[in-house]
Amino acid sequence: MIKIVHHRNKCIGCNACVEAAPKRWGISRRDGKAVLVNGIEKKGIYTIDLQDWELEENLKAKQNCPVKIIEIIKL
Amino acid sequence: MTTNKTDSPKVELMAPAGSYEAMMAAIKAGCNSVYFGVEQLNMRSRSSNNFTLEDLEKIAEIGKKNNIKTYLTLNTILYDHDIRLMKEIIDAAKKSKITAVIASDHAAINYAKKIGLVVHISTQANVSNIETIEFYSAYADVIVLARELSLKQVAEICTNIKRKKITGPSGNLVKVEIFVHGALCMAISGKCYMSLHSNYASANRGACIQNCRKSYVVTDKENGVEFEVDNEYIMSAKDLCTIDFIDKIVDAGVSVMKIEGRGRSADYVYTTTKCYREAIQSFYDGTFSTEKVEEWKTQLATVFNRGFWDGYYLGKKMGEWSNEYGSKATQKKIYIAKGMKYFSKTGIGEFKMESHTLEKGNKIMITGPTTGYVEATVDEIRVDDKLVELTNKGETFTIKLSEKIRPSDKLYKIVEE
Repeated sequence: MIKIVHHRNKCIGCNACVEAAPKRWGISRRDGKAVLVNGIEKKGIYTIDLQDWELEENLKAKQNCPVKIIEIIKL
Repeated sequence: MTTNKTDSPKVELMAPAGSYEAMMAAIKAGCNSVYFGVEQLNMRSRSSNNFTLEDLEKIAEIGKKNNIKTYLTLNTILYDHDIRLMKEIIDAAKKSKITAVIASDHAAINYAKKIGLVVHISTQANVSNIETIEFYSAYADVIVLARELSLKQVAEICTNIKRKKITGPSGNLVKVEIFVHGALCMAISGKCYMSLHSNYASANRGACIQNCRKSYVVTDKENGVEFEVDNEYIMSAKDLCTIDFIDKIVDAGVSVMKIEGRGRSADYVYTTTKCYREAIQSFYDGTFSTEKVEEWKTQLATVFNRGFWDGYYLGKKMGEWSNEYGSKATQKKIYIAKGMKYFSKTGIGEFKMESHTLEKGNKIMITGPTTGYVEATVDEIRVDDKLVELTNKGETFTIKLSEKIRPSDKLYKIVEE
C-alpha cells in the first residue's frame, strides 16, 4: 500500500500531475488547482491510501510537480 | 526619506511588492506605484510569500492612504481550468478598487475590459512595434514594452503614439512603460521553456527554477571533448541597470519606469526604489551628474545583483553574462533579533537577540510588514538599562531609533562582503 499526500494550497495549477497520472489527478475549475481524486481533506492537506499498482504513475506526478507538494509514503 | 508626492515628477516610478514588507519599503523610498501578484496566476507563483484575494482590500487601502497606485499582475499563460479563478481575481480587484490589472493573456485582458477594470499590457505580451500598440490600445492605457528593444526603438514607438494619436480606453494617449532595473532573462521577456524541459517547472506559470543561472560545461557527445568556454555561466544574463542614462529614457518619452523584483526582499526594494527616485528627481531638478550616478551605483551594488549592464537599450550587443552563481551584493544581512516594542516618547526600540551578537557601531536594518524598511547605526546598546558594548543571543536590549518599530519586525546586522 502507498499513501499520497497533497499539500493543495501551494498548488499553482500547472496540470503536470494530471498529465502523469490522469486517473488519480484532476483540475478544479472552481479554483484552478489540482485535485487528488477521492482524497480526504484535513486542514487543507489531502490524503489517500492506494494499492501499489498506482505507485509508478504517481511517482511521476510527484517528480514532475514544480512546487513539490506531492508526497508518497510507502505503508 | 519620503518624497513629497505633490512635487513628484511626471515619470511614474513603479516598485515591486512581493510582500507587505516590500510594499511599505517601496512607499518609504518614494515610489509612485507598486505591482504585486495574488494566488497562483502570476509570474512569481513559486515564491512562498504571495498575497491572497483577502489581501486585495488592505493593499488598495494602503495605496490610497499613501497616495500610490496599486497594480495587480495576472500575467501567466492561462488554461481553460484557470478561467474561473482569473475572473474571480479580476472581479475582486475591481471591487477592492485596485488601480489596474497587468495582464498578457487575451482572456484576462478581455475580461478586465468587459467589467471596467483598467488594463495594463504586461511585458509577457512582448510588445515590440507601433501596430501592436495600436492593437492593444483598444484595451489598455499603459503598455509595457518588451525588454529587448533598444532605446531608439522605444523612442520611435513613443513618438508615433503621439503622431498617430493612439489613445486608450480612457481617451488619453497610450502610456509606455519599460523595465529600468533588475533581472533579465536569456529568453525574450520570460518566454522560456528551459525550466519546463529540465524540471517540469513552467516559467510561463511562474514556476521558473532559474536553471539558466547555473554554470555549465559544454561537451561534444560524439568524442567526449569538453568545449572551452571562458565563462561557465553561459546563460545567466547580468542584471539590468539604467540609472546612468535615465535622462535618455525620460527624453525617449517613457511614462512609467518599472523595477523588477517581486521575489526580492524589503531592503532590495527600498535601496533600488530610493536610488531611482533620487535619480528621477535630480533629472527634473537639473542636478543629474556622473558623481551622483557613481554614488547610486555603489548603493545599488549593496543589494542582490548579478553584476550590472545596460540591457539592450543602448544597442544590440551580445548579452553580457554573469560570472558567478547568485548575488554580487557588496553587503550581506544577518538576522539577529526580533522586535519587541517601541517607546515613542524617548525614541527607543526594544529587541530580543535570537542569534549572533550586536556591537556598538554596527550597521543594522529593520524590516516588517508595517514598518517597511529602517536603516540605522547602533550608537549605544542597553541591556537591563545598563550601557553595554555588545549583546548576545537570548538577551533583551534597547537602542535609540528615530522610527517606530513593532513586534512583527526583524532586525538584521549589515556586514560588508
